Formats: sequence, structure tokens, C-alpha cells
Amino acid sequence: MKHAVSFAGVGKTYKRPGLLGARYHTALTEVSFEIPAGEVTGLLGLNGAGKTTIMKLITGLLFPDSGKIRVFGHSPSDGAAKARVGFLPELPYFPPQLKPADALAYYGRLSGLSGAALAAAVGDAMRKTGLEPHAGKRVSEFSKGMLQRLGLAQALLHAPDLLVLDEPVSGLDPLAIHDIRSLLAGLNAEGRAIFLSSHSISEVEKLCSRVLIMVRGSLARTVRRQEWEASSAGLEGIFVEAVR
Amino acid sequence: MRKYAALVASVALNSFLEGARSRFFTMFAVFAFTAVYASVLAGVMAVDQEERLLGDFGLLLTELTTLAYLLFNASSSLLREAETKTIYLVFSRPVPRSAYLAGKLAGALLTGAMMLLLMGAVHLSLLHFRGFGLPPFYGWALAGIFLKLCVIVSFAFFVSLFSTSAVSTLVISAIMWTLGHFAAEARFLAEEAAGFQGALLGLLINLVPNLQLFNARDAAGAAAALPAAALLPAAAWTLACYFAGLWLLSRKEF
Amino acid sequence: MRGRGYGLLAAALLCWAAGSYAGAAYRLPFPPPSEMRSPLNGAGGDMLALALGARRVFADLWFVRLLQYYGKKEARVSSDQPGHETHEHRVDEHGRTHCDHGANYGKGEYPSFLPMARHILEVDPSFTAAGLYGAASLAFNMERPAEAEELLRYGLKYSPKEWKYLTVLAAIGYSNAQNPAAVAEAIKPLLSEPDCPVMLKQLAAFLNKRAGNLAAAAAIYADILATSRDEFYVRNAERELRKLAWGPGGRP
Repeated sequence: MKHAVSFAGVGKTYKRPGLLGARYHTALTEVSFEIPAGEVTGLLGLNGAGKTTIMKLITGLLFPDSGKIRVFGHSPSDGAAKARVGFLPELPYFPPQLKPADALAYYGRLSGLSGAALAAAVGDAMRKTGLEPHAGKRVSEFSKGMLQRLGLAQALLHAPDLLVLDEPVSGLDPLAIHDIRSLLAGLNAEGRAIFLSSHSISEVEKLCSRVLIMVRGSLARTVRRQEWEASSAGLEGIFVEAVR
Repeated sequence: MRKYAALVASVALNSFLEGARSRFFTMFAVFAFTAVYASVLAGVMAVDQEERLLGDFGLLLTELTTLAYLLFNASSSLLREAETKTIYLVFSRPVPRSAYLAGKLAGALLTGAMMLLLMGAVHLSLLHFRGFGLPPFYGWALAGIFLKLCVIVSFAFFVSLFSTSAVSTLVISAIMWTLGHFAAEARFLAEEAAGFQGALLGLLINLVPNLQLFNARDAAGAAAALPAAALLPAAAWTLACYFAGLWLLSRKEF
Repeated sequence: MRGRGYGLLAAALLCWAAGSYAGAAYRLPFPPPSEMRSPLNGAGGDMLALALGARRVFADLWFVRLLQYYGKKEARVSSDQPGHETHEHRVDEHGRTHCDHGANYGKGEYPSFLPMARHILEVDPSFTAAGLYGAASLAFNMERPAEAEELLRYGLKYSPKEWKYLTVLAAIGYSNAQNPAAVAEAIKPLLSEPDCPVMLKQLAAFLNKRAGNLAAAAAIYADILATSRDEFYVRNAERELRKLAWGPGGRP
């Protein structure tokens, strides 16, 4: 099976400069895993376990201190890798005075789209994320759920092969969560790999075929769907056991 | 190459529109128009030199207001994009950091050019209203102001990439702007000073861009036209700040 | 991404050096700071003028200050009628008061006039109108030709090709030689210049009138009326034009 992402012995330490010398904080230690193409992989962990660090390393926002990362065979900083990745950060921000199509058009152009292809991509992303009825509103009028949909729409614009989603359902109401789950399932059915982090074990359980459990910067376990379905405690039990 | 240029243009246009939409822009514009209008009072006091005084005051106010807004914009732009995580959505795409920085700089300078043209139009209308024509050096003065802005705004972007707050970027850039106007006088002093002192001062002067080179607004009587030689230093210093900024940005993590 | 940094740093340093090298030959067209002798409390303003690259604006402000200083009443005032505060009136053999409003206009001590006028040129030597105004006031109103020459010579140091300064210098020379006709002739080419101070025009009109060239005097007064915004000179020009229209004997 081809891998969308591979981590081999990756380490990352943050350096925070201070008056009396720098302070160091190790976020990841010797992390190795693969994200198979076309699969939905979940990332679970307590706060500070290194989930966001992994996502930023995949999207080239952070650079590893050690080890090797490959995204579709390229370095994450490489344009060829980024062209195939769509990223939704936690609580994305859009200029409040913009209409969703304007915001999407900007990010579409940054993804290399233009002209009719750009217009089609914006329309498609708005339709998929259910934003079409709200096309006339400004971002300032959007609810948290609609902002999250807009965040997803910008990640989908260039039809990426891998979606990296940081807490995609955090703070949403049950209906919005249901809609986003359906959307992600649809995207996966189209053959896209999805890598998502979440604090909601039940969401991860419903969507993912594989889950990585991070504990204090290390990969504690990789669990396949068959395993947690076979376990009496389910994924929650496995997670609690891993992080304790 | 075309794709790269399109990326730069996209970032520049977005940055320009964001700048033009900002309420600070409106605030600065209102202040500038009021100040230019208020200069009529000072003009009347100069009696037969009203035309000269109105021209000089208007140009200085135009320059200071545009400078203040652009420095504010340049010092807070990258910081704000990092804080709001907007930059995540940019750098997780195939956007080279060099294109992003070039676009940001171009957007800021485009905003500056628009401000100069708008305020210039208001200023000239005021002169016309008072019965005066277009000052002969006006175009050169605006071009010189723009070259100064190119240098100092690119410097502010560079500083914003290592400074800890927008205020410190503003202060450092404003100091550089002031030193830049003193550079020619400092060179004179260095040439007058002998020995080690002179050599040291001569060396230090090279660390400061000589903004008097572009100060056609001030040298209007003595040398109205900008020397062609002024374009090269403006381009070189702007590029230097861009490369230095890119060096920092390419190493920066978000 | 991180590794390629040092090439960029080298490019930045090279570009900066190229900029400094390309601009190194530039010399300011202004006097060096060592020549700035700020009268009164003007040092702060001069620092600002240099720091903001705003010599012209600060020279303008100094010019306004000079106008205000020169417009102040002095001890020799002999009339307090509006418009006549700063000059003396002539009394003829019949005891009638005559206002020449020009020959003596602006007479007074004004001890700071030269330092203030010179300072304008120290800040912005291209401010020819201020140099001419200062020199003409000193030479023809305050009768201090030596100070006027000093001011003009300072102006010529930074504007050596300024023929207007040379013209006024020549006029001062003729004035010292008690040759009013030559003074009028010398300043004639200046009158059509946009930066010719109105008081020089007034002087030319007065000299022409005294020499009996009434048409020339009327043309100059008409020019003052059309170009000046100085109320005193404009009102005087109106008065003089009215007088000239009525003729020397009081008849039209």
C-alpha cells in the first residue's frame, strides 16, 4: 500500500528564548508512523501530547529537528507535497468583511487555480460544505459551525489527496458535527486520505479506520478498527489504558 | 515564472485590499485630509509665500501620514497573520515564502502609492482652490517619497520578522527613517573628522540608507529632479531588506 | 528550507553594500549643520528639520516668524492709523502730513532681522524669495546695506549662479552711490520674477514715481495689485494708483 505520509524517527524540540537563556520543550521524540493513502487516520492524545506539532510538520509549518518526513514521497516543504495536501487548522480565521466566495477565491489562487477552474473549484467547495445558501453573507455573520465549513472548503479547493484536519468538530453543535462527519465520509469515499486529530473519541471511532495514540510526544499505540471493535472497552478503553 | 508572478500578485492584491479596507486606513486618511486642509491657515501667514508654504506643508504631511500608516501596516501585518493563523492557510499551500514576502511588500507599497496619489490629488485641489498651479517639482517630490517608502517599509518588514512586538518594529523603523535623513550630514562630519574616528563614522554611515538621496520634496529648489543614480540605491536597499527578511522568514516556524 | 539561508543573507549584504556604494557620491545641496546658527530658541526646530528631511517646511516657518517679527511695532512709530503703524510720515513746508508709504515703510531697528533672515538660508539656501526679501528690507527699508550684502553673499555661497542676488547687490551698490535712477534700472528685470519680494516692487514704483516715470510706476503698482496677497502693499498700491490717476496737481 502506498503511503500518503511517513514519519521515521522524527523529533521536535521547541526553543523559547528568554531573558536568562532559552528554554527548551521537547514536543516529539522518535516518532515513526505511516498514513496510508485513501484511509481515514485519527490522532488521539491529551493536551500537549504533540498532535498539532505532527500536523504542522506534515504541512511544512514546522521543521523537524531529527528524523525524516515524507509526504507523497516529497519533503513537506516541497511545493509538490503541498499541492496534494489540504489543511484545516483549529479555529481558522477569515477576514470578517469578506463573503465566503471571496475568501475561497484568494486561497484558490494561492493553490494555483485561476479563471474558470478557480470559479468551478470555489463553487464545488461551497456546495460540498453546504455553504451555498450562505453565499450572500459576510464572514462576520457566520456561526462557528459555518466558519468550520468555510475552513473545510478552503482545504478542499485544490482537490487534495490528503486532508489534514486539526480538531475539525471542536465546539460544533451535534447537527454540524453530523454534517461534517458525512462530508468527510464522502470525501474519503472519493479516495482521499484524511488525517484528523480530535479530543472526541466517539467521532474518531465513527470515522477512522486507524488511530494513532500520542502520549507525551511519543507514539504510544497504533490501533486498527478491528482491534477496538473486538475490544469490550472499545476505543475509549484502549485510549485510557494507553495514556495512563 | 508566470505562476510565481500570479502568486505574488494574489498576495499583493489581498494585502492591498485588506489595507484599504482597514478602519485605520480611513482614520489616517481623514487625519491627513484635515491636516492638509488646516495648512491653509499657515499658508495665509506666509503672505506672498503662501504657494510655497502650502506646497511644502502638504507634501510633508502627505509623506508623514503615508509613512505612519505603512509602518503601522508593515509592523503588524505578519504578526497579525501569525496570530490569527491565517498564515497557516497560506504556507500549507504551495506558496514559496519568497513569493509571499514579495507580495506582502508589493501590497504595502501599492497601498502607499494609492495613498500618495489620493492625498496628492486632495493637496493639488487645495492649491487650485487657493489660486495656485501645480508646483514644478511635484511629480519628483512624490516619486522621491515613494522611493523612501520602498526602503523604509521593506526595512520594517525585515524588522517585524525578528522583533517581538509591532511597537518595537515601529520604533526601530522610525529611528532608521530619522537616521536616514541625517546620513548626508553624518557623512559630512565623517569627512571632517580625522583618523580612526572618521574611519569608524564612515563605516557606520554605510549601515544607514541615505534617504536624502530621494528627498526631492526637500531639495525642490536646489535639485528638483531625482538623480538617476537615486534609483539604484533605492532598489538595492529595498532588495537587501527583502533578502534579509526572506532569510528570517525561510527559517521561521509557525 | 532552513538550510538555504546563508545565500540569502549574503545577497542581502551585497545589495546593501551596492546601495551604499551607489549613493556614496551624493552630497547635500544644503549648508552643513555646523553653519546653522539658530537665533532665539530654534535649535529644536532645526533638529526636527534635519530629522524629518523637512528643511523647506522649517525654512517656511522661519520666514513666517521673520514676517511676524518685522511686522511688530517699534519705537519710531509715528502714526497709529491702521496700515501706517510701521512707517513715518513726511510733513511738508505748509505743515501738511504726507504718507509716502514706501520710502520709509518698514523702517526700524529690528536687531534680530539679519540673524533670522540668514537662518532661513542656512536651513534652505534655495529659498531665494526669502533671501531677496531679507536683503531688500535690510538695504532699502532699514538702511543697513552692509547687513544686506552679508545676507546676499551667504545666499550666493550656496546659489552662486543666482542672478537675482547679484542684481540686488548691484542695486545696493547704486543706492550707496546715491543713484536712485540706477537702482530702479537695476531691479527692473527682477520685477517680473515670481519670487521678487513685493517690497522691491514697491521700491521700484516709488523710485519711478519720484523720477517722474509715472506710467512705469502705475504699471508696477498694478502688478502689485494683481500678484501680491500682502494687504499693506495692496492697499498702498490702490491708494497710489488712485493718486496717479488724479495727477500730481490733484486733478484727473
